[in-house]
Amino acid sequence: MNLIKSRLIAALLVLAFSFGMEGCRNAADNKQNMSKKSADAEQSAMTKRDQSGADGVVPVFGNWKNYTVEDGLHSDKVFTVRIDGNRVWAGTHDGLSLFENGKWKTYTTEDGLPHNGIVSVDVSPVDGDVWVGTLSGLCRISSGKFTIYNQFNSGMPNDLVYCVYCDGFDVWVATGGGAGRLDTKTGQWQIFTEQNAPMHEPWTYGVSAGDGKAYIAAWGGGVIEYNLKTKQFRDYVDPDGEMEIDLLPNDGVVHDITTATAYNDGILWVSSYFGLSRYDGKNWTGYFDHDSGLASNFINFIRVEGRVVYVCSDNGLSSTDGTTWVTYKKFDNSEDGKAIVTKGEEKKEIAQSPAISHNFIIGVDADEDELWVATSKGVSCGKLMN
Amino acid sequence: MKPNFWLFLVVLFLQVSFLKAQDEETRYGKTPKEVFPYENFQKAYKYHFLEPTIFYGAGREIPEPKNLKTVRIGFLGPLEGSYIVDLGTHMLQGAQLAIEEANKKGGYKGVPFELMVHNDFGLWGAAANEVVKMDDEKVWAWIGTIDDINSHVAIRATLKLEIPNLNCGDPDPTFTETNIPWVMRVIADDRQAGYALATYIHNKMGLKRVAMMRANNRYGRVGVMEYSDAATRMGFPFIIEERFNDMETEFKPQLERIKKMKPDAILIWGNAKESALIVKQIRALGMTQPLFTSDRVVSPVFLKIAAKDAEGIITTCQYNPEAGDPRLKAFQANYKKKFGVEPNVYSAHAYDAINLIMAAMNKVGLNRALIRDVLSDMKTFQNYQGITGKIVFDATLNDVGDIWMARVNQGKFEFFPTLPMGERRRGGKTRHSGY
Repeated sequence: MNLIKSRLIAALLVLAFSFGMEGCRNAADNKQNMSKKSADAEQSAMTKRDQSGADGVVPVFGNWKNYTVEDGLHSDKVFTVRIDGNRVWAGTHDGLSLFENGKWKTYTTEDGLPHNGIVSVDVSPVDGDVWVGTLSGLCRISSGKFTIYNQFNSGMPNDLVYCVYCDGFDVWVATGGGAGRLDTKTGQWQIFTEQNAPMHEPWTYGVSAGDGKAYIAAWGGGVIEYNLKTKQFRDYVDPDGEMEIDLLPNDGVVHDITTATAYNDGILWVSSYFGLSRYDGKNWTGYFDHDSGLASNFINFIRVEGRVVYVCSDNGLSSTDGTTWVTYKKFDNSEDGKAIVTKGEEKKEIAQSPAISHNFIIGVDADEDELWVATSKGVSCGKLMN
Repeated sequence: MKPNFWLFLVVLFLQVSFLKAQDEETRYGKTPKEVFPYENFQKAYKYHFLEPTIFYGAGREIPEPKNLKTVRIGFLGPLEGSYIVDLGTHMLQGAQLAIEEANKKGGYKGVPFELMVHNDFGLWGAAANEVVKMDDEKVWAWIGTIDDINSHVAIRATLKLEIPNLNCGDPDPTFTETNIPWVMRVIADDRQAGYALATYIHNKMGLKRVAMMRANNRYGRVGVMEYSDAATRMGFPFIIEERFNDMETEFKPQLERIKKMKPDAILIWGNAKESALIVKQIRALGMTQPLFTSDRVVSPVFLKIAAKDAEGIITTCQYNPEAGDPRLKAFQANYKKKFGVEPNVYSAHAYDAINLIMAAMNKVGLNRALIRDVLSDMKTFQNYQGITGKIVFDATLNDVGDIWMARVNQGKFEFFPTLPMGERRRGGKTRHSGY
């Protein structure tokens, strides 16, 4: 605990000296252009997924820089953010914005996107291609070329793409009509619905993959695990079988209505509108807002970086390794807010000025030194404080 | 006896009390204590749905647009290609009548309302794609749909796009149990129907051995769940469950298996046409047991096909068309005048849903978040008196107002109130256990 205290003090000191620092990803830092596909992108993706937070310490971010339409963002309603080397993609209700060289640039249907509502973005760790999940189709941006995938021109299960996830040469999508896996080498889709997977209905909302398995968040069906090698399924549902209760803590996924999965280093995280779950391959642990540092039980999305999961709730952003929690909240009617660090019974609050731009968090991405957040009212970027 | 023993007994008593305690007022869905999940064995670690989910997102600050030519409200229903087009058509007509009447009164501040009509039937997930189109059309709210396969798909999109949805036709209990703050329902669900049927079958009639014959689709699977759970917890699980497919016409194999089990009663859960054929084939097999059905049989289609075999069948209905409310009578007269047919439960609830949305708009203006807020604040429109009766929202924004029983008598449905679940038959007498 002394270690945490000393880190908090250090974080406060850094905060005190860091106001007025330059914004995230300024022009001097950025060298990439849109067509660049390089080893940098691959290295970046690997770094993000394998190293950040690997020591189990939950980092604290601060010195927030917030972006809205006044700063060039295309829309204030932002569904997703994805770090791509030295640039950042932001999927908004009205277009795909790219932050590069300190400026926002936007792509819309006029540039070749299938729809302006951008729900999910991922970057291939293999070739750096950008995969964009929209409200009406999937789009691959490769060397400046936009290629559209939909129900009618490909084997994609449905046009409403809630989540896109790149895993090696595979591109996974969770759609309103099932999950799909595109083998980019062959161009073939593999579809997962109630016809061939252990789900009652093909309503999928999130997908992630790792260590040879994919984890599909099936709305009402818990989590569907698919082993790519054995082609076997395993489903994880709430053992009590009831919608209105969670009978026992830590007995399984907290609810069957799941919204996202995130996997790394042998740990599977599962979000729902009823709480958060963690599975280490042997035991499940459930987290609620009343028994942990979780900001709210209503969770829109999660992303894992190293051992730390970032939890996008409807009333704040939380991050945790399962033991220590850091939750970011903005005060009502103020630009300021706080980071709340919780471990067991101990709780510390760190003043943040400014805070994240809004408490309704829809998307998140992190790397070693920055945390990007998609909110109901703009994008926020925080710098690592500890 | 040692004092430690007495101390042990006191501690044991307190623990048992704690384990079994859940406040009646916090029990979700008007669920009687005797059928609440695990209630007799274990206090749950977490009870959901005790308070409405608040929408914490932005959007309330967006000003009302100027120079609108119409004020758009979305409609999603089965209008083409579905087995239940007749239900969707009635729902659409109820909505159209509400819009027409409102426009005669000046619309929204002089701007006419416009219904943006969408079919929910198509490739998997089509309903979600239709909601995306509604967002592109800039609807302020939308109503629909009926089949839970489609309504569940649609509400995920409505959550993402933040468009208020008033459902007026899908009785799937899990619909509002998704906890989505943009979704409300103004029609009673199959939880209430299940409790009403379980009470009537087991408590009032004293029947114990019930056979289930249900549609092999989500309507059948999820529809029977609450009845099944309640009946099982009352000590009367199904003795057999058989299934049938949509458009199936021959049910002899399933019914013969049911006949062998000699049930006290048969509960049929499906669409009107298949249910009517099943009723006829049950009687043709010489089975005379009391028959119970799900709400979709309250239809001229059922009465026409089942004919005299429909006599005595008991079901539930989400409103009482024979209620004497003058507004309901006017609606029924106007509906028949405009469309040439009697309205049904879907047209009546669609009429209420549209009127509720328009009342919300008139209250807070054209802003999706504010419309959502006022519809779901549990105050402004709580106990809203629609033509279908009083709309009472619970914490999931589900209508837990009255549901009705219906019995076929001389070729017509007669409607009567449900019984409280605590009323049970014991040697010809009834007792009240407090519900």
